[in-house]
Parts: sequence; C-alpha cells; structure tokens
Amino acid sequence: MVSRLSLKDVSYSYPFQDAMALSGINLETRPGEVFCIAGSNGSGKSTLAQICAGLLTPTSGSVLYDGKPARSGSRLLNLHRNVGLLFQSPEDQLFADTVRKDIEFGPRNQGLRGDDLAARVIDAARLVGLPLQDTGGRSPFSLSEGEKRRVALAGVLAMNPEILVLDEPFIGLDHDGREHLISALSSYVENKLATIVLVTHDLSGAWPLASRFALLSESRLVGIESKADLVLGNTDMLALGVRLPQWGVLAKELLHAGIPVEDPSDPSCLAKALVRRREVRDDR
Amino acid sequence: MHDEPHEIAAENLTYTYPGMSRPALYGVSHRFRQGEFHAVLGRNGSGKSTLALCLNGLITPGEGRVLSCGLDTSVPTNASEIRKQVAIVFQTPDTRMVGSTVEEEVAFGPENLGLSPLVIRKRVDEALELAGIEDIARRQPQQLSLGQKQLVAVAGAIAMEPSFLISDESTSMLDVRSRAGVLKLFADLQERGVGIVHVTHFLEEAAIADQVVILESGRIAGTGPPGELLSDPTRVRNLGLDPLPATMVAEELAALGHHTGGYILTAEELLLWSRA
Repeated sequence: MVSRLSLKDVSYSYPFQDAMALSGINLETRPGEVFCIAGSNGSGKSTLAQICAGLLTPTSGSVLYDGKPARSGSRLLNLHRNVGLLFQSPEDQLFADTVRKDIEFGPRNQGLRGDDLAARVIDAARLVGLPLQDTGGRSPFSLSEGEKRRVALAGVLAMNPEILVLDEPFIGLDHDGREHLISALSSYVENKLATIVLVTHDLSGAWPLASRFALLSESRLVGIESKADLVLGNTDMLALGVRLPQWGVLAKELLHAGIPVEDPSDPSCLAKALVRRREVRDDR
Repeated sequence: MHDEPHEIAAENLTYTYPGMSRPALYGVSHRFRQGEFHAVLGRNGSGKSTLALCLNGLITPGEGRVLSCGLDTSVPTNASEIRKQVAIVFQTPDTRMVGSTVEEEVAFGPENLGLSPLVIRKRVDEALELAGIEDIARRQPQQLSLGQKQLVAVAGAIAMEPSFLISDESTSMLDVRSRAGVLKLFADLQERGVGIVHVTHFLEEAAIADQVVILESGRIAGTGPPGELLSDPTRVRNLGLDPLPATMVAEELAALGHHTGGYILTAEELLLWSRA
C-alpha cells in the first residue's frame, strides 16, 4: 500500500536561527491509521505538524503525498486540499463573528453552497458534540476553552480532509471531553479511512487511538514504538518529557520493583500479581 | 515569608458571570491556610478557575465574601494590598510577559510596589535562584520554552514575597518534565511558609496536596485530605475525573478479599502492602 503521507529526510530551521528545529525526520503514515508524534515542549513537534500540513516547507528533504513529493505547484496545492490542521491554540484558528460562519468557512471555499454546505456544517458539529442550535449564532470567542476547541475542530472536519493533523487536541479537556473527542476521531478515521497525525506530550488521549508512537527529542526522531514497547520497554519517558497514561506509569513502577506485569491496563491482573508477591513472602 | 500565618476565607461565595443566568460558583465556603498546599479539582465548567480569580480579588463575589489575609476583596481600596499578598499564575504564561529580559520580567511586580532598587535586585536574585532559572536571567522571555516561561511567571510571583500563590491550571500545558519542575517549586515555596492553591484536573497532582477541594457545578462536592477524597474510584469517576490507577488496583484487591487497611493512592503504597 502506498503511504498516504510520508516524510523523507526532513530537516527544518526557522529563518535567522542557527539551531535546527527538526533534523533528518523519516516517517510514513497509512490510510486508516492514527499516528502519534510524542515529544516534550520545544522538541519540534509543532513544527513537524506544520510541515505535515504543508504550512512550512522543509529546509531539506521532502514531504510526500500519495508517494509523490509535494513541494510546490499543483502537488503542494493537492496536499493543502487534503490535509486539515488543528492548531494547538484555538485562538490561532478561529476568526469569524459566529460559530456557524467559522465552521462554514472551509467548505464554502471548497465551493459548497446551500443545502450541501448546511449539511456539511451540521455533520461536523454533530461529530464534535457541538449543539449548533444554541451556539451557532454566538461568537466563538465568547465560548469556554473546551467549546472553542470543538468549534476549531468542527471547522477542520467540515472540509472532509483525508489527512487530519492535530496539535495537542486534548489539552484542557476533562475526562468526558476527552472521551467524546476520542470517539469522534475514531469514527472519522473508520468512516473515511482517513489518516490522523496526532502530535502531543500527553499520551492519555492518544492511547486508545494510536498504535504507533514516534518519539521526538531535541529535533530528532529517536524511535517509533508500540504501546507495549512504551510501557514494558526501557525508554525513559520522563527524560523525553512525554506523559504516559497513568496506567502505564503504575505498570512501569511495579515492573521496576520486580512485579511481573502481563496486562498493564487491567487492574485485576495487577492486583493478582501483587497478591502472588505477598503470598510468596508469606510462604517464606 | 511572614510572621503570622494568614488565611484566605471564602464565605458562602456566589458568583455569576455577567449575562449568565446560572451562577459559576454557588455558596462556596472554604479556608485556605498559609503554609498548606490545597488542590482544587473538578471537571471543565465546574467553577475551578472562577474560584481562583475570586481568591485574589480579580473578580468579586455577588453574594457572600472572600477575606484574603483578613482583607475583604469586595472593598476596592484593599485591592493593592491583596495583590501583594496573593499572587496568581495562569495556564498560558506567554500572554502576560511584559519584560524584554527574564530578570526585567521578574522585577516588574516589585517595581510596581515602589521598592528601592537594591531591595528589588535582592528579591529578583532570590526568586531566580529559587526557581532555578539564574542561567536564563538575561534571555528574552519570548525565546524560552513553555516550561521555562512558566517558571519565569512563578519567579515573578515569588518576587512579590506573597503569603499565597494561586495556580490556575499552570501545569496543564506543560510536559511532564516541566510540570515536575513547577510542582517542586511549589513544594519549596510551601516549605518557606507560602500557601499554595493549585487548580488542576490531574489527580496525581492533587494526590500530593494537604487538602483537596472538589467542585461540581459550582458547588463544593467534597473537601478533605487526598486519601479520603480520591481513594474511591467510583466516586472520582462520577465527578468526571480519571481515577488514580492504584486506587482501582486497591479496589480489585478488596474484591479478591484482601483489605489494604489505609488509603492507597500510589504504586509505592501498593508495593508496601505487597511487602507487609
């Protein structure tokens, strides 16, 4: 299968800065996949998100869309048409005077009008759980942080992109908000066979969605790991500045103390392992 | 930093945002004591940030009152003294940076207090040292990472030598390394007698507090030590929060007929039980 979006030897430095923001990045994403890029504040992950979306052009190396370099002209335009980027801060994205106009902006630019446009907006709002009848006429800037994030995401989804690049979509969301977003993204990927590139420093939201996690440290990719690698392996997540789901942290601590962990996300399995340890001590 | 311990007392505090029909806070009463670490938990929209803003008088109650270090926040002439005693740091440090270097940024507060240049210099140096950011004193705040900026914001608050530091989700944008740095700084400040009020939705950060306040729809749903409030996973889940995994393992242990005795919140406490 041809990779949907891939990066080949991508390096980037910001104008007038000597230090490289990204150095020699290679990665491939597949249709129907949520691919997570994890790293600390300042590791280069937001730069990488903007490169994936074609907003920044690599200083060297290339971004490939459907296997072909998308550097300029119609191929770059094609990348722009098919990738939707959700910025880290919704304030960087929202601009219209009403929520409805904000969500309409993208599909309207794609040429949609009338019922088609209205349907696209309603679908996108429904997917992110935004009650359009209450908020459609309000200014997006009068909404809570969580609601602003939903409007920004609805605006991106309304363009029906086959690749979604999401920069820290879970920040500031509580348990319910996060669960809702997880299920919205997962049905979007399933229904459209879309690709999501999810950039974050906190893996608790990405955990149920992604199967591969690219680890970014000081502008370089230091590994691509599975969930099992991340929890059961030796990668020092604190040094990377990446927050594992609290399950993973607990499992890692028990493993370090010599407790065998079979399924780190199953509390009953962990409880049984602890009971066995206590009984071994009693036998002695 | 001060001789007599102070407190911030919210008394039957009710606050409604202009144009809204439902109060964001309703009948909230709690005493935040100097030298203690209080964590405020709750789901989005529960009133956590509104409470933080009320505690240092940035907004004032519609009903009830807030006494910050004995001063009623509703009395306009108290405002400047309250700002000296009760510092606040927010989720996004970027938007509030005014200095062209880190040390100018940290000096901004003390300068506004009208202190002498020598005293300002001393306070800035101490605050930079305590925050562990002496090495970036001459850098431009805009060039720093988010974690460094948040430490600069806290250093700016420290330089005011406050009795209380209010943190309104100051760790939520930070990566785990930077978060650990900010939390360590809070602990150091607490040791020096500063009262910390930390608004967060991370349970593991509330677990290290002396007292936890849980808000639900603008009302207090519970106050007490972390063990008492956070060790029941079902209760925590019903409040829209993620339970600590160790509490779920302890629940499984109980289901298997093993009662752990005291409250269990951490891996360390589970391991202690397995070794007992």
